[in-house]
Amino acid sequence: MNTLLIFLGKLVMFISRLIGKGSGSTWPGHIALSVNPFFISEITQKNPHVKIILIAGTNGKTTTSKMIATVLEKSGKSIIQNKSGANLLNGVASSFIESSTVFGKINKDVAVFEIDENTLPLVLEQTKPTIVIALNLFRDQLDRYGELDSIAKKWKKVFSMLNHNTTVVLNADDPQIAFLGDKLHAKTVYFGLDEKGETASHLQHASDSIYCPNCHNRLEYKKIYYSHIGIWNCPFCKLKRPNIESIKTIYPLPGMYNKYNTLASVLAIKQLDIPENIVQDAIATVTPAFGRQEKITINGKTVQIFLAKNPASFNQTMQTIADLGAKYVAFVLNDRIPDGRDVSWIWDIDLEKFLPQFTSVFISGDRVYDMELRVWYAGRDTNVYAFASLADAIWNALENLPEKETLYILPTYSAMLEVRKIITGKKIL
Amino acid sequence: MKQMLTIGWLYPELMSIYGDRGNVICLQKRCELRGIETKVLLVGLQTTEKELSSCDILLMGGAQDSQQTIVAKDLEKKKKTLSSLIESGVPGIYICGAFQFLGKYYKEADGTIVNGLGIFDLYTENPGNNFPRLIGNMAFDASGILGTAAPMIGFENHGGRTYLGLGVKPLGKVIKGFGNNGEDGTEGSVYKNSIGTYSHGPILPKNPPIADFLIQEALKKKYKQEFVLSKLDDTIAEKAKQTILDRILQ
Repeated sequence: MNTLLIFLGKLVMFISRLIGKGSGSTWPGHIALSVNPFFISEITQKNPHVKIILIAGTNGKTTTSKMIATVLEKSGKSIIQNKSGANLLNGVASSFIESSTVFGKINKDVAVFEIDENTLPLVLEQTKPTIVIALNLFRDQLDRYGELDSIAKKWKKVFSMLNHNTTVVLNADDPQIAFLGDKLHAKTVYFGLDEKGETASHLQHASDSIYCPNCHNRLEYKKIYYSHIGIWNCPFCKLKRPNIESIKTIYPLPGMYNKYNTLASVLAIKQLDIPENIVQDAIATVTPAFGRQEKITINGKTVQIFLAKNPASFNQTMQTIADLGAKYVAFVLNDRIPDGRDVSWIWDIDLEKFLPQFTSVFISGDRVYDMELRVWYAGRDTNVYAFASLADAIWNALENLPEKETLYILPTYSAMLEVRKIITGKKIL
Repeated sequence: MKQMLTIGWLYPELMSIYGDRGNVICLQKRCELRGIETKVLLVGLQTTEKELSSCDILLMGGAQDSQQTIVAKDLEKKKKTLSSLIESGVPGIYICGAFQFLGKYYKEADGTIVNGLGIFDLYTENPGNNFPRLIGNMAFDASGILGTAAPMIGFENHGGRTYLGLGVKPLGKVIKGFGNNGEDGTEGSVYKNSIGTYSHGPILPKNPPIADFLIQEALKKKYKQEFVLSKLDDTIAEKAKQTILDRILQ
């Protein structure tokens, strides 16, 4: 049966490539799973030599996957990877179909999958991963994911069923993620930041998990890196940030959030016994994943795209581009299903803090006027240019961009795909 | 004499999941543009009843379940003060979870009854997981309350269904979306100068007439005289609203 499904899936991939439709990364898996719901479980059991690494979290999945994949490839391992965004069950199944023979044999060493928050429990039910990485949990798309607490609860339940053959890699600085490691049978290791010098003195507005995941009292912070991420402890039940592994690494990408992605990647790879010098040489070569700090040159001008999809990622991105000296920015706000249909989150971002340093602000997207309204209420009403048409916004912004300056575009997910399509003239996914 | 309003933001850390800060930003800015001073009081577990009594406008948003439990405990202590503020006509807006809190009770899917503050004559029932959450863009007609014929908009996301008693008026009639329960066509409630609603988005920047209603009533109550607020340029809010109306009223 699976042979037929794999054959069919490969045929669908072939045809979708032939006609240039970008749906080849989910449809084959979708078909296979609707005929055989246990497809993933069966194909992984048939290929126990393929080590599976799962990467979950609200922000940083794609970049972390790319880092891990880069290191594994440079160390001579052959890998399977799901396409960015194809991070539901159907995307995982499609990746297996693509890399297997018609008889369901997979001649690869490692599968690196980024997994959607709601899908992680389903994937854990069907696979026996070598490594599971949990990066962070921030409020994101409440219309789709529901509340953070309910995701954390579901994760805790499936994590408690993992055995000692799995290593769980957790972010010690995110209280809800750290708490996942409490009383696990699986081997558990923690990464975290030990930054010297100044950190934020008070919590940002968009701080989600500042109450103790164990006893629900207010946490205390010795250091706050961003949002609810930092060095925390509960004064009531004494739960505290777990001890972290000491990790020496270089950081190939700017932004504090990328330090976390790097630490998670290096700590995960450490579990696979790859020599440290190979890891560091490879990490140094990591370039941004598409739409994440990706630089594109067009008509001699530079555009850099920073996916900004929820309050935490938007705030971190603004801090990062501010540090890079950004003067020309464009915000693109869509409200389609992959973006979240509810745009109320833009009122949780700290625009007030960053707007004064930008020379010009361009705005577009399906909800262009919602973002313009947000910017207006943040006290900015000069050199703000709103365009209903995204192409108009981009070309106008580029026309007004002085040479040697960079246009920093901050789009939501579907907007990021559109921006790339307009700039590069081709469709991704 | 310069007017000054104290905006009491109830539980900003705990009940602020749907961009509720936007409502505070909106009230502050609309006052500032009219020369009215504002002070924002962040009402939390440490806030005393005396501090709470100093508020001229109250705001409270929605939350996650575990955080609502923390708030419910604290509200028991502040109930008397909050209730007397609302009864005396202090204007306020209570959104989603806060709207439910102010009612008589919330009946969970398993039949458990969680008592509310009983200030609004209404109750809420969660029909359980076999019934979908009510999620999406919405539009409603609040002309009866606000005196403006233009529809108001928002985004709703709630599992509970709220039913109004005789002691409260609905805020408006649903034009598109679900409103209080998806059945009777009502959206929100109004009692004295307090508004309960399922519409976030956040509601005030998107619907300037509601923001101005709160400011005007607050001034009237505090300074015991009529105020006519100067008109502000709300072109961007109008465009944002039209985008959604064009989409959902097709």
